[in-house]
Amino acid sequence: MKAKDLMIPLQEYLKPETTLKEAANILRTAKRDEEKTGVKGLPVLDMNGKMVGFLSIGDILKAVFPSYMSLMNLGDFTWDGMVEDMARKAGSKKVSEMMTTHVVTVPEDAPLMECVDHMVKNNVKRLPVIGKGGKVVGILYERDVFFAITKAMLNENNPPIPPLEKGGKGGFENAGGAK
Amino acid sequence: MTHEAAAASQPFVMNTAFWTATTIFLLAYAVIVSEKIHKTIIAVFGAGLMLVLKILEQHEAFHVEEFGVDWNVIFLLISMMVIINLMRPTGVFEYIAIKSAKWGKGEPFRILAIFATVTAVLSALLDNVTTVLLIVPVTILIADALEVDPLPYLISCALASNIGGTATLIGDPPNIMIASKAQLDFMDFIYHLAPVVVITMVFYILAIKLIWGKKLKTREELKKRIMAMNENEAIKDPVMLKKSLAVLAMVLTGFVFHGVLHFQPATVALFGAGLLLLLSKTHEPHHILAEVEWPTIFFFIGLFIIVGGVVKVGLIKWMSLQILELTQGNMFATSMVVMWFSAFASAFIDNIPYVATMNPLIVDMAKQLWPDLSGVDLLHHVDLMPLWWSLALGACLGGNGTAIGASANVIVVGMSEKMGKRISFGKFMLYGMPLMIMTVIVATIYVWARYYVLKI
Repeated sequence: MKAKDLMIPLQEYLKPETTLKEAANILRTAKRDEEKTGVKGLPVLDMNGKMVGFLSIGDILKAVFPSYMSLMNLGDFTWDGMVEDMARKAGSKKVSEMMTTHVVTVPEDAPLMECVDHMVKNNVKRLPVIGKGGKVVGILYERDVFFAITKAMLNENNPPIPPLEKGGKGGFENAGGAK
Repeated sequence: MTHEAAAASQPFVMNTAFWTATTIFLLAYAVIVSEKIHKTIIAVFGAGLMLVLKILEQHEAFHVEEFGVDWNVIFLLISMMVIINLMRPTGVFEYIAIKSAKWGKGEPFRILAIFATVTAVLSALLDNVTTVLLIVPVTILIADALEVDPLPYLISCALASNIGGTATLIGDPPNIMIASKAQLDFMDFIYHLAPVVVITMVFYILAIKLIWGKKLKTREELKKRIMAMNENEAIKDPVMLKKSLAVLAMVLTGFVFHGVLHFQPATVALFGAGLLLLLSKTHEPHHILAEVEWPTIFFFIGLFIIVGGVVKVGLIKWMSLQILELTQGNMFATSMVVMWFSAFASAFIDNIPYVATMNPLIVDMAKQLWPDLSGVDLLHHVDLMPLWWSLALGACLGGNGTAIGASANVIVVGMSEKMGKRISFGKFMLYGMPLMIMTVIVATIYVWARYYVLKI
């Protein structure tokens, strides 16, 4: 199982100069699969289609969180409506200001364990998958890796017949929603 | 050869060592001012050069008070930082700040004035950088709650911390250095500097009332946000709070009596830090010690060695002779030159390297004036004392002149920028410079009246 077998192919993305207001709306309405909408993050691509960052809903939370609050314990001294006030001000910020620029990525041929390695060590839930041309071809989600793992666990008592050809796939090739 | 002739002939040996040391010193200062490379790196590298080039022997740098590292300053700073790091998580500083805002009843200017006073008092007892780091986040929160411009609160926090820090031995690094060099104790600073700081604060509050009083307005319903805050919720660890307040009280009492008890301030602070570490029952002192501002500490260490090098080769003595020539030995004129020159020098260069240079310069000047005296008799000569106070007042208050004049200003400007409220160099100076000049005028009148007219 490789990254490209489990990833969701890239459908939507953000631009660095987009405002957070628009970006938040795109995240909210982006198609996750056939029936569901709303994604927790999207890659940010420049004019040439090269990935320059990643914007997740965590970054949107950070955009309304005043940095002085991270310096001291001030959570007890906030007021009703504060988040809404900050959100109105943060709406005009650019995606480039809030996006994560150090994005952990995997090549499309990466074995699944390499992906798990990145997810565990860097505590990320989404990995942009980079294709042969150096561009983002899809996103690998933690839940799809989880489904693959679950499938392997559940098949434990009823092992699949080992494949004959060398390097062939195991019994859970249809895991994930990428197909 | 008479003693005087020996003293006079020594500084003019402008040999290779003299020029090497002077070059290292000037280049180091130039790079520190340019901010091209971090000041700590330059200080440590410059110190390394002084040692490698044998301007100073390692023994002199580490163990000779006249040329080397002033460990009293280093350990006083480290110990106070450890005590504060242990106190911070208790929530006591959030408590003080929220309580102050509620005292102000949600009135924006009242809160500004109270914050300025609280910042000044805290800065007198803790170091300025720590104080502004603890006050600034709360002031911006309050400004956001009242929907007023945070700029007055930010600038005032920096300025008030520099004024307040002037009052005590531990308030501001220049004072710590002066106290150690001149062998002055905590009560000397309280007796000579606290009165002028109180007077200066009164003028400062009146001045900010004129500048910002009318501009700061809020609505009644926003004041309720402040009044609804419950400061008691800030206290996260009441047991540790009691321990740390007890240790802090003990340390401050120790400072008051350190002269009488013949303890150096660093002894008092180090004991306090050790005791509070023990009482905190922490099993892992690593993060408490790691939070000590090591770059600042190493900046001091490097500077002491660099300055020690130029003291040894006689550059400082040569500079002191120039000043004496300029003022013709008139001590009032010398005091005024020291105060005003220090104020403007400290506004543009870091007052820590400045005072590190001026301290031995004043000692050298005293040696020229009273060649027969030595030790405390020389350092505490009745005509020399106003010079120490002028240096302290000039160097501490002068820091208010520009955004880079004092560490507290740099921190405030840096924090503001991070919060998207940029304070430009010019904007800071627009308020800082006139207020700095006003406070130095107050200090000038004080020094003149107290030491040259009333002579008390």
